[in-house]
Amino acid sequence: MVSQSPVVEISDLTKRYGEFTALDSLTLSVDRGTILGFIGHNGAGKTTAIRILVGLARPTSGTATIAGADCVKQARKVKHLVGYMPDRFGSYSNMRVREYLDFFGAAFGIKRRVRNQRIDEVLDVTASRYMQDRYVEALSHGMQQRIGIARTLLHQPEVLILDEPANGLDPQARIEMREILLRLADLGKTLIVTSHILPELARICNQVAILHRGKLQACGSLEEVTRQFQQNRMIEVELAGADEVDHAVSVLRQHSDTAGDVVPSAAESIVRFRTEKRDAELGNILSALVSANVRVTQFREVASDLEEAYLSVTRGENNNGDQQAATASESTGAEAVSTEGSEASGAE
Amino acid sequence: MLNNPVIARELLGLLRTRRSIAILTAVAVAFSLLIIARWPSDGVVDLSGATSRDVFRVFAYSLTAAVALLVPVFPSTSIVQEKQTGTLALLLNSPMGPVAIYCGKLIAALGFVLLLLSATLPATAACFTLGGVSLFDEVLPLYLVLGVTSVLFTTWSLLVSTVAITTDGAVRGTFGGVLVMFLLVLLPHYFLDGSESSLAGIAAILRNVSPVPAIMDVVGHADVGSRQLVSQNSGVAAFTLFGGILSILFAGMTIGRLNQTLLDRARSQGNVTDDRGTGVRIFRRLMFLIDPQRRKSGIGPLTNSVMVKEFRSRQFGRLHWLLRIVGGCAIVSLGLAFAATLGSEEWGVETIGAIIVSMQAALIVLFTPSLASGLISSERESGSWELLRMTPLSAGRIVRGKLLSVIWTLLILLMASLPGYGVMIWIKPILEEQIIQVLICLAVGALFAMLLSAAVSSFFVRTAPATVASYSILLFLWAGSLLVWLGRDAPFGYSAVQTALSINPMAAALSVIGTPGFESYNLVPVNWWVTGVSSGLLLVILLIQTWRLTKPE
Repeated sequence: MVSQSPVVEISDLTKRYGEFTALDSLTLSVDRGTILGFIGHNGAGKTTAIRILVGLARPTSGTATIAGADCVKQARKVKHLVGYMPDRFGSYSNMRVREYLDFFGAAFGIKRRVRNQRIDEVLDVTASRYMQDRYVEALSHGMQQRIGIARTLLHQPEVLILDEPANGLDPQARIEMREILLRLADLGKTLIVTSHILPELARICNQVAILHRGKLQACGSLEEVTRQFQQNRMIEVELAGADEVDHAVSVLRQHSDTAGDVVPSAAESIVRFRTEKRDAELGNILSALVSANVRVTQFREVASDLEEAYLSVTRGENNNGDQQAATASESTGAEAVSTEGSEASGAE
Repeated sequence: MLNNPVIARELLGLLRTRRSIAILTAVAVAFSLLIIARWPSDGVVDLSGATSRDVFRVFAYSLTAAVALLVPVFPSTSIVQEKQTGTLALLLNSPMGPVAIYCGKLIAALGFVLLLLSATLPATAACFTLGGVSLFDEVLPLYLVLGVTSVLFTTWSLLVSTVAITTDGAVRGTFGGVLVMFLLVLLPHYFLDGSESSLAGIAAILRNVSPVPAIMDVVGHADVGSRQLVSQNSGVAAFTLFGGILSILFAGMTIGRLNQTLLDRARSQGNVTDDRGTGVRIFRRLMFLIDPQRRKSGIGPLTNSVMVKEFRSRQFGRLHWLLRIVGGCAIVSLGLAFAATLGSEEWGVETIGAIIVSMQAALIVLFTPSLASGLISSERESGSWELLRMTPLSAGRIVRGKLLSVIWTLLILLMASLPGYGVMIWIKPILEEQIIQVLICLAVGALFAMLLSAAVSSFFVRTAPATVASYSILLFLWAGSLLVWLGRDAPFGYSAVQTALSINPMAAALSVIGTPGFESYNLVPVNWWVTGVSSGLLLVILLIQTWRLTKPE
């Protein structure tokens, strides 16, 4: 389904709010038919990037295009190309679902006859036909999210940009949302989805972009990103009894390259450690454990996932940030201050 | 009672807002300036105290108007806001009973009023120092009336706050009620005074609900427009009695409503008539000329989609409600015209015309800000402005659609009274030109009120403060000019009153129809020019601000 022609192209995109840099030289391209997961914690710059893409914000520098249309200079054209669902639903009181969709269809200039047909179609795609007569403000959060997606589909946009579509949904609604997004991908739509729920994204995305403090930290297919951050492999050693944990830890600390990362769990009779060593070298560690009379029942690698990759990126960046802060404080004699506080107050 | 945690939370929360600091400062500065402006500058001593009494009159009326405008601002949203944010559920779930919660809110609101009135004390002291004003006969009764007014409007605001579903709805209901209690209850007596009918007796009692006759009594003012608005007995005592009774009634009703049922609302299932049985469909067809529960057809190709959306999303914007309102207006105006034909010797066609004009003016003042003050702010508050910005609709088309939805409603309201005017012209054909002028005054007034509220709305992110600001500005301009008119004998002269009334289209309508007290002022066409040019400026401001809001940040 994914074609190799990029439909979204972002080049050196920067957005500053006074002193604060919300987005720092973001460069990214998304191929047609891709589902891109946009990941980053609060204040990372996801919503800023999205708002520039849909023409709601103006970048300080850089360019962004959707299907060749410049998001700043051709904002009107972009509106027809993009279906945007913000993190707030935006309801009107006293309006039924069908009237709500009818209004947005008319606002996009869809002719009445075609509009009625389109409303039926989008209600079917989002499995929402049964709620067409309900009042929009009386819908549950999950229902509103589905109607929000239905609204974005009305004018048949090429690209759908969904800001936190799974936020606040119960497990059932989250599964339904996932199915809807996959259905949209089957229809050939390009989707850009932001979410904090990484396992959900991992199940539907074929491309991920990790944003941290306004900078793109990683971008590529799910496999590429997880492989990129897989240098630190997590190995789990299961022992015959809890009394052997301390002994195993001392042996591992002698042989492991990352001695500080050995984490014992006496309750589980397990020791976990991180290493950059390859399989052959890992064999030597296992041999050392056996030679030291540690009774190993299992020696296995814990599969790395998107969550793991994301944490690796942000942890590494936070450490860098902390180190920089510490260096700065050493030179000035001031107390080291974490930059997390300023991050939280960022203009996301 | 003072250990009540609600008092500390409410009062501190209130005093921490920039709005409350601005209000307190503005009141202190405005009244100090008022006194400075009226302070005698020549070296002649006024032994009779007439000058200081004139100053005191202006001060008393302005203070009463300020209390009526400012006191309801905070309590009107106090409970509905807690309902929306979910903190009311937490409060009701605490060991505090409804009485304690209510008293906490009431005392906190009145605490702010106390600060507000304290800010005027230096100005009062200056008035008193001028001489000629008695502490016991004037100053203390004035503050008693202001105190009762504050309690009355605060209890009313809290009651509305329990009934309303949205904060802006609460503000609308509160200011609507304040307008009725402050001004409209005076109208029946104004027109029926001198009549022997039982209605005149009821109207005479009803006027005691308003603080205005009590204030007039305190400042020793004469009657208004040859009508005895001032009570023949003690106006202060009567208002204190009626205000007290009403306050207790409002407080009781609010406490009765402060329980879990406030939060126990089922979501609407959205039943539509089309899917119901034949019997129900026939019944609803008979009951409703236009059934609001029927499925609507799509928005037509030549219709402004924003206008249709505005009508559909407004509770009283649906056609069946508009028809009911029009029907009500038409019946009342025809009834009044019929009364004119039967008792024309007693009332006169001019008096009937004045009643219709007053009713229409009241409707315009009540309805227009409530219709227009949320045009932009409600979209921004609900998050739907982002969605509108994502559509290809231009700022001009959005503004046009929104204004049209208000214009049509106001036009229908104005047209509904045409039968009454028609009967008046039939009785007295010479009135035709006057009535056309009256209609122009009302139309210009409605246009100004609409554009003012819409322009104010475009500067706010939330509808409740936008509604408060719209009502406040409109009442300041129109009720304020009427306060100047009240002091037309002293301290204001003819030209000052003429100038003040020239910004008030309702006063212009009353002068055209020859209402007693207004007949000597020549306000047309100056008023049309003033209001028209102001409206044009407001439209430009609205368009620029809306265009700015549609642009990327």
